[in-house]
Amino acid sequence: MSDHHMTTTTGAANGALATDRRAAHLARPVPERAEPAVLFEARDLVKRFRTRRHTVHAVNGVSLSIPRGRTVGLVGESGSGKSTVARLALRLLDPTSGELYFDGIDLLRASRREMRALRRRMQIVFQNPLGSLNPRMRVLNVVGEPLTVHRIATGRQQVDRVVELLEKVGLGAADLYKFSHQFSGGQAQRIGIARALATDPDLIVCDEAVSALDVSVQAQVLNLLKRLQAELGLSYLFIAHDLNVVRYMADEVCVMYLGQIVERGDGDTLFTDPRHPYTQMLVSAVPEFAPEREGERRRRVAPRGEPASPSNPPSGCHFHPRCPKATARCRTEAPKVHRIEDGRTVACHLYDPAGEASAK
Amino acid sequence: MTQENLLTDTQPAAPPRPACAPAEAPRPPRRSTVRRVVRGVRDFVRAQPLGATALVLICLFVLIAILAPVVAPYDPIVQHRRNILEPPSAEFLLGTDDLGRDVLSRAIHGARTSLVIGVMTTLISLALGTAIGVVSGYFGRGLDIVIQRVMDAVQAIPGIVLLLFIAVVLGPSVRNTIIALTVVITPSFNRIARAETLRVRQEPYVEAARATGAGAPRILTRHILPNMIASVFTLGSLIFAGVIIAESALSFLGIGAPPPTPSWGLMLSEGVRYVERAPWLIVVPAIALSIAVFSFNLLGDALRDHLDPRVQRLVVQERRGWWGRRLISRLAPSLAQGAERLESTDTRTGGTGRVPDPPR
Amino acid sequence: MIAYALRRLGYGAVVLVLVTVIVFVIMRLVPGDAVSLQLQEVGASKEEADALRAEFGLDAPVWVQLWNWLGGVVQGDLGTSFYSREPVVDLFLARVPVTIQLGLLAILVGSLLGLTIGVVAAVTRGSAVDGTLRLIAVAFLSVPNFVVALLTLTALAIWFAWSPPLVYAGPTEDFASWAQQVAIPVLALGTGGMAAVARLTRSSMLESLGSDYIRTVRAKGVREKTVVLKHALRNSTIAVLTLLGLELATILGGTVIIEQMFGLPGTGQLIYQAVLDRDYPVVVACTIFYAALFVIMIIVIDLLYALVDPRIRHGRALS
Repeated sequence: MSDHHMTTTTGAANGALATDRRAAHLARPVPERAEPAVLFEARDLVKRFRTRRHTVHAVNGVSLSIPRGRTVGLVGESGSGKSTVARLALRLLDPTSGELYFDGIDLLRASRREMRALRRRMQIVFQNPLGSLNPRMRVLNVVGEPLTVHRIATGRQQVDRVVELLEKVGLGAADLYKFSHQFSGGQAQRIGIARALATDPDLIVCDEAVSALDVSVQAQVLNLLKRLQAELGLSYLFIAHDLNVVRYMADEVCVMYLGQIVERGDGDTLFTDPRHPYTQMLVSAVPEFAPEREGERRRRVAPRGEPASPSNPPSGCHFHPRCPKATARCRTEAPKVHRIEDGRTVACHLYDPAGEASAK
Repeated sequence: MTQENLLTDTQPAAPPRPACAPAEAPRPPRRSTVRRVVRGVRDFVRAQPLGATALVLICLFVLIAILAPVVAPYDPIVQHRRNILEPPSAEFLLGTDDLGRDVLSRAIHGARTSLVIGVMTTLISLALGTAIGVVSGYFGRGLDIVIQRVMDAVQAIPGIVLLLFIAVVLGPSVRNTIIALTVVITPSFNRIARAETLRVRQEPYVEAARATGAGAPRILTRHILPNMIASVFTLGSLIFAGVIIAESALSFLGIGAPPPTPSWGLMLSEGVRYVERAPWLIVVPAIALSIAVFSFNLLGDALRDHLDPRVQRLVVQERRGWWGRRLISRLAPSLAQGAERLESTDTRTGGTGRVPDPPR
Repeated sequence: MIAYALRRLGYGAVVLVLVTVIVFVIMRLVPGDAVSLQLQEVGASKEEADALRAEFGLDAPVWVQLWNWLGGVVQGDLGTSFYSREPVVDLFLARVPVTIQLGLLAILVGSLLGLTIGVVAAVTRGSAVDGTLRLIAVAFLSVPNFVVALLTLTALAIWFAWSPPLVYAGPTEDFASWAQQVAIPVLALGTGGMAAVARLTRSSMLESLGSDYIRTVRAKGVREKTVVLKHALRNSTIAVLTLLGLELATILGGTVIIEQMFGLPGTGQLIYQAVLDRDYPVVVACTIFYAALFVIMIIVIDLLYALVDPRIRHGRALS
């Protein structure tokens, strides 16, 4: 990459819009790098919700980084806090503490106007395809809204641009004036994706984007997402509860439990060789139709207990009540993050290189 | 166009864009909007025959009111000194009053007065109440609490008393009647607008709009308002009947439209003195008033039954206790619960006491 | 339970304070004050106007006026009538009994009639009787109470050449005269409530008559009359109580017109006269009084309700 401008591997389709995008806001020249730069980084994100009766610790110290053009997957059960992370990443919610950087810019210090400009570069696709489209707006207006809001294109130009976007996701000009209820779930989700693409973003957060779709449709939408990533150099934060889907989509997978990331690593390795007891539990719960090789059936780890509630997390390691390998230490002390190998980390006492000795 | 290819994994190829693309993008089909409206009306008529009849009656009422100067045989203010207190005859179809004025003409012009005051009041309080409710509901927190407390306080004063109070402060005139009535009615619109805003605010598409970078004004006008306005207008039609009643009450008491403006309430109060001698002075405006109110009630009920059950509940609550429904649910929660249970019975059985069979 | 009641009262108090503030603010918002309006009509001189203003403390800023007024209330002094120079409190207390009698009677009569109609309609469901009754109910729902009163007056005057006595006499002084005077007002005030009660009684009775519980009771051989009266009616009483709460404001407001129409010396007539006379202290006091009445009665009804309805009493989390 020898460009001095911020680089993306944009295809020709985005040509004219590229300069437009950079015009409005804080462009920072990035020095040449051999590998993709980090597009998005979150450090120690914490989010607590206070109600009258109790405090919900939705996110409790999550750190992520998403390299340019790559996908980071976030997987976990309900209550793990992954949707909250999605919203924190886009600053749709403000974190209780922690840091957020988008392309080196401190999001939490950004003013409202800066934030607004930054929103052009990071978008989100929601879980509920039909729900995330205003039932009273026609597709043209839905997909065109970002264009209007950021004053990128109006009138005739907007129509053209929207048609372009619709075609990119596999719909067409004939759908311009329809309403959302006239579409199926999969089609509606494509509309949502088209909307997310409208401002030519660098990062798209997919918050359970395919969870509400039929399996056959899921595959199509996932492939669409992959294709768009290749074509436009998008980065994804891909959030799901289905391990298979995340494995398919993500380069790096983070497993979340009760607001914390308990294991992190490459999707395939995580799946075949899970280290954290929770990951093992998740992996073993995935229905297996045929063992990959005879004699290589996954070890079954029986799930125990109910997922704990984020408003009343267990002490020490949050997972200890359900963990088949819990020790006394797990009850009292929260595990630190340990690096196992390159690109693999686990937050579990079992992998503490210092062994049982609780050296502080 | 799109097709969901169930078996293949790949994206259906996007149709190649012809060179003359701009000319091909379809225009917004005007006919479809009109068709939707017509279909909506037709459904309504079919589903609610009683409401449709009421609608016809109301149209008649409105027509007569608008064309009053044309339709009325005499000028309502002109006194025919030689025809005092005459019973209905060929010359004066509904008789004359104590100043020799034609009762029929006065009744017709009275319709106009009621209509004008009713429409102005309803529209103004609808606009005001909705604005307050939407802002209060969307921005929430401190502003919301203060505004709602004030609304509660206004509703703690029984309507007539409040009207009297404002009348004494402002003095009798058509304009002041409108002002006084607006003050009394605005809290009802406020409540329904606020409740609906709170509901819509949670919808995923609102969050999607925020993620796009839309600011509050845009979200309020394009997302929140269009999705809640139906309930407000239904309430409006129900309230209209009450406004007519209130206006008559005020002019009956002599603090509404000042004489000689023809108004049904005024006619009633003038007729009280001649109960035995000239009963038609009372009977005519009484019947006119009753028919008008009855039709609006019917129409309002029909509209309400035609609505989404969720919204129905809100509208019913507001209509039944014009005054103080929210206040009641704060001051008397047990009562409010019981009332809701009863009303759900009533709504479910449509006043017939029989629960309809579940849909097949 | 006590905590619950106290919380209600607390909220009520807040509301009433706000009501007072609003009332005063509205008065202040209008150009020209009470004195000038009144004197304008009489044609007094500027010195007289100023003197009057000073006498009634209207030359002080509004929050001072408010504070003084509130202080007065606590001591039981609601101000002095412009018109008659009597303390407002006295004017009030003389008239409150009449209004309360009227209101309570209206509620009672309305509920009883409504219950009866509702029960009859439910029991004869589908028949002509039912249809007629329902039609009557809807009609009464639409027609405002003062119109009902007027029509009744008219009908009685024409067909029976009768009209109610003009001079008020209390129930203890001359019962017959009082009864005649009060009959139509009570009826008129009660019809709105009656119609609503009838409708709700009918539907809730129909629903409970068709319920499994009642079917069991019938199967046990209990007589139909008992079934109807005892079991189904119990639910309806709750319905009535509910409706009362909701109709309360309308009834309270209705007393104003009805009292004026029939010459009953109650608080309604008081406020109406005061409006005509531009007698501010009285109007203000009456407005706040009605609000207070509404708040208190509603809380009382609510407490009664919580006591009567076992579903609520047995511990749901009440806010």
